Amino acid sequence: MSANRWLTTGNYFTSYQDEQRIFSTRLDKLIFIGFIVCLFAWPLLIKLSNRNMLVLDTILIAIVAVLGLNLLTGFAGLISIGHAAFVGVGAYTVASIIRLIGDDHVLVTHAWPLVIIVAGLVGAVVGAFVGLPALRLRHLYLLMATLSFQIIFQWIINFSTFFNQGQTISVGRVFWFTGKIVRKQHYVFWYYVILVAIVLLGLGVRNLLRTRYGRSLVAVRDNDRAADAMGMHPGLTKVYAFGLAGFLAGIAGALHAYLYRGVGFESFTLHHSIVYLAMAIVGGMGTLSGSFWGPAAIQFLELRVEDLAEKAGHYFPSNMNLSTALRPLTFGLVIVLFLMFEPRGIANWWRIVRSYVKLWPFRY
Amino acid sequence: MPLLTVSNVTLSFGGLNALSGVNMNINPGLITSVIGPNGAGKTSILNCISGFYHPTSGDIQFGEHKLSISSFSPHQVSNLGIARAFQNLELFSGLSVLDNLLLARHQNLNYNFLQAVFYFGKASRVEAENRAYVEEVIDFMELEPFRHQIVGNLAYGIQKRVEVARALTLAPQLLLLDEPMAGMNIEEKEDMVRFIVDIRQDRDVTVVLIEHDLGVVMDISDHIYVLDFGELIGAGTPDEVSQNPKVIEAYIGEE
Repeated sequence: MSANRWLTTGNYFTSYQDEQRIFSTRLDKLIFIGFIVCLFAWPLLIKLSNRNMLVLDTILIAIVAVLGLNLLTGFAGLISIGHAAFVGVGAYTVASIIRLIGDDHVLVTHAWPLVIIVAGLVGAVVGAFVGLPALRLRHLYLLMATLSFQIIFQWIINFSTFFNQGQTISVGRVFWFTGKIVRKQHYVFWYYVILVAIVLLGLGVRNLLRTRYGRSLVAVRDNDRAADAMGMHPGLTKVYAFGLAGFLAGIAGALHAYLYRGVGFESFTLHHSIVYLAMAIVGGMGTLSGSFWGPAAIQFLELRVEDLAEKAGHYFPSNMNLSTALRPLTFGLVIVLFLMFEPRGIANWWRIVRSYVKLWPFRY
Repeated sequence: MPLLTVSNVTLSFGGLNALSGVNMNINPGLITSVIGPNGAGKTSILNCISGFYHPTSGDIQFGEHKLSISSFSPHQVSNLGIARAFQNLELFSGLSVLDNLLLARHQNLNYNFLQAVFYFGKASRVEAENRAYVEEVIDFMELEPFRHQIVGNLAYGIQKRVEVARALTLAPQLLLLDEPMAGMNIEEKEDMVRFIVDIRQDRDVTVVLIEHDLGVVMDISDHIYVLDFGELIGAGTPDEVSQNPKVIEAYIGEE
């Protein structure tokens, strides 16, 4: 790096380690840290209603889940429409623990970070198991395998008394160092927890992507014959990708269980799987930032459309069922439009904006 | 002592014999070419060696210890030190040249998953070391201007070169090149020939070459095997092969 790093016209790396850094300049790092600090600080200044906070928390949980799906579908090229079931595995791991030891057991209320990590690990194991067909199957056939897992998952939950036949299994309030987290603090508290999880998982994934564990994913996506010739087992790499996606989904599921203080099967249906896929597509497949844009955009859209449907129902009460159809309709339209006009997703817009700002006020 | 021995290899698909009783000895430090008309089984023999096909009968032995590799899968073969460049480009087209080559260092990146997640100490160090190795290959194959470009966007001739470079990054003992000059113009061909000769001389890699351009083959090969309809019809130095009546018949036809 040059003497005055504020005035340099480019990045002058002097070692390979320098070049491998996530933040190539101090300014980049500073901006990132500043951004994270802002994310942590704003709830102290602005008080949102519980409802809005819940929306925000839901977006953040979706980000964790989509991070996993993006690794699986965007990076490793394995389309999964059973991702909500993976998230469900995480949530139902928490539910199982509660069914076994009760929802006011100290393990659930005090050692909840441990429970969340265990849920992630269970998700990873189940994910890898479901991914086993990837050893043999490809493309559409693999998709069918993930779909079948989704169906089997729903079926198991609905028909076993242990899981309360899909009815809500409630999760107790947790404790922090300051004491029990009451209703007033609940949503802000979980905002912080999920944010910490996202920062840690995001950095972890970012690190993975610059090592062989990340590159091998892209290798099996682009050309698994060549990946084989380069000395990696393509089948096992795919199973590993499923495990990784399962881990992130499991974490998301456990967070979901704690945030909503209950686990019910209706949050992990096929519809949700497709929503996750839509988030990944709209955000941008195969880009890390896409996993952040997608959930935010889709959730925002859903809120707007819900408002719109409500208003429409108000003015045209006789066409009530039409306005409820508005949601899936816009939803499908957005996916189709993105696939047609911006298959690289919002992440691509972000890329364009960034490169523009970098060069401003020059054209090139 | 040969580096690789192909003994009596037969490969059949249903009733069709792609290879029947082929014997080959690949001697270390030489450029051995495999030639023959279209459909003669050249790529099949390469696929058998690199593990993509498994011979129906016969054996393939590699190295000092005569390790039988005929039932190995491709990644096991490549870990032994047999690298391969494909006839039709089989690159990771969404990745940069650098990442393509780094992928060939997969087995040498010996940090574990947790070190990769946190990216400290060993992971960072090993990545940098292997990056240095990759840079050396980039230097050797003269790919410096394309280092950070996405492979899919490069010109065909350059992609072919990346393909060879990637095989070379595996640091092989034996390099299998499947028509590295197909579809190139004279200039690119000359470049590629120079690279192949350099690979043998400077990097001490044994080369097996499949090529249709007989001029090139006759010029740079130390030993030639001629296949036709899955059978070996001739073998020897370029001079011997070009005198062989069976070879002449296969290529030009009878008088």
